[in-house]
Amino acid sequence: MSNGKVAKDVMIGIFEYPHVPYWFSISQAIRIVKVSFISAKKYPDPMAILVFDEKYNLMGTLTLKDILKGLEPRFMKPTTKAQVPAEDESGLSLIWDTLFTQGTKELAEKPVSEIMTPAKQFVEPGDPVTKAAYLMLHNDLVLVPVLEDKKKFVGLVRMIEIFDSISDAVIKE
Amino acid sequence: MIELIDRENHQKLYLQLLSIIKKKIEGGEWPIGTQIPTEEDLCKMFAVSRATVRTAVLELVREGYLKRQQGKGTFIYKSTVSDGIAMVTSFKELLFEEDLIFSTDILARTVMMPVDDLDARLNITPNKHIIYIKRLSLTGNEPVLLQESYIPYHICPLLLEDDIENISLLELFEKKYGIRITRVRNHIDIAYLSADEGRILGLPENSAAILLTQYFHSGETLFMYTRSVKRPDRFQISIELERKAI
Repeated sequence: MSNGKVAKDVMIGIFEYPHVPYWFSISQAIRIVKVSFISAKKYPDPMAILVFDEKYNLMGTLTLKDILKGLEPRFMKPTTKAQVPAEDESGLSLIWDTLFTQGTKELAEKPVSEIMTPAKQFVEPGDPVTKAAYLMLHNDLVLVPVLEDKKKFVGLVRMIEIFDSISDAVIKE
Repeated sequence: MIELIDRENHQKLYLQLLSIIKKKIEGGEWPIGTQIPTEEDLCKMFAVSRATVRTAVLELVREGYLKRQQGKGTFIYKSTVSDGIAMVTSFKELLFEEDLIFSTDILARTVMMPVDDLDARLNITPNKHIIYIKRLSLTGNEPVLLQESYIPYHICPLLLEDDIENISLLELFEKKYGIRITRVRNHIDIAYLSADEGRILGLPENSAAILLTQYFHSGETLFMYTRSVKRPDRFQISIELERKAI
């Protein structure tokens, strides 16, 4: 179903994405997002930052969603009224106004390591793209790192390339 | 293999010995900061008289390769000696006038994007990746100098894999990568340590420290910016300038 393609056939270089060490603050990450994507009018899919440790090992990824969630801890909690807009529109407008206001600036000083999606799943360069597809779908990931010998970070597999590869096979067959 | 004095050679013995020692220093066999063998040992190693050894060592001290420390011995001080304006080619040479024996711990070596004013300091666009290196130098077990170096990734990507614990960054730039240092801009100031810097240097937060910022150029290219903070209690600095003969 994937034309026999493996991860290294579809992976992209790691320098396609901004890098940050885990101790960077959320506000520093926000500035990087603005410079690397928004101001540059560059909108890769997914829009993400790679988070590394002090020995340049990949620790995780940071998406725009991760950042926004990190700035508003109520998003991390179970369902609240604010997430059920059908109930009372007038009251909800007050709730919306309080989002991203109280304590957000303080939260923006937290390190990105606290809000990133940890990199626990990876593929080897020779692994089939179907494995990468499985890991992405099963773990709700936007990127899967490609590690050589389970150690050296050599590339990234994204959903777009996985989709392209698998869908090609579907159409041809 | 030990290179020996050639007695058939008509060059003076002390000059031959000087040349052999210089090769050992420049080649890194005798690294900066290490103590050279005693006069007696050198006499035995090269089968020469004490007077020959003494003359060669004195000349190497005069040239700046060796430094004598009262009551301790003679140590390797520089691996290269520049002509013309005596340019600072190693942090050690600038900051460790008396602290010759030390080791370096690599606290971080990773890649990041420029934040704050780093892009301006490095003269790069803010979407360029940077290699970040954080090192702690120790004299014995005492931490004395905390250095953070920032290098545009495209200048030297292989730096992520080099042995920077034992080889200085500048030596790697010049000898391995052929990036010749033509200018170093230094700023010396007083800094107040952050909590993290204080913890690493073993001093309370907000303690005063010596701050050295350095900008390294090769021709028109600025290839490294370094920020170093040093404990102030053992601070000594000496810069020698020599006018090049016209």
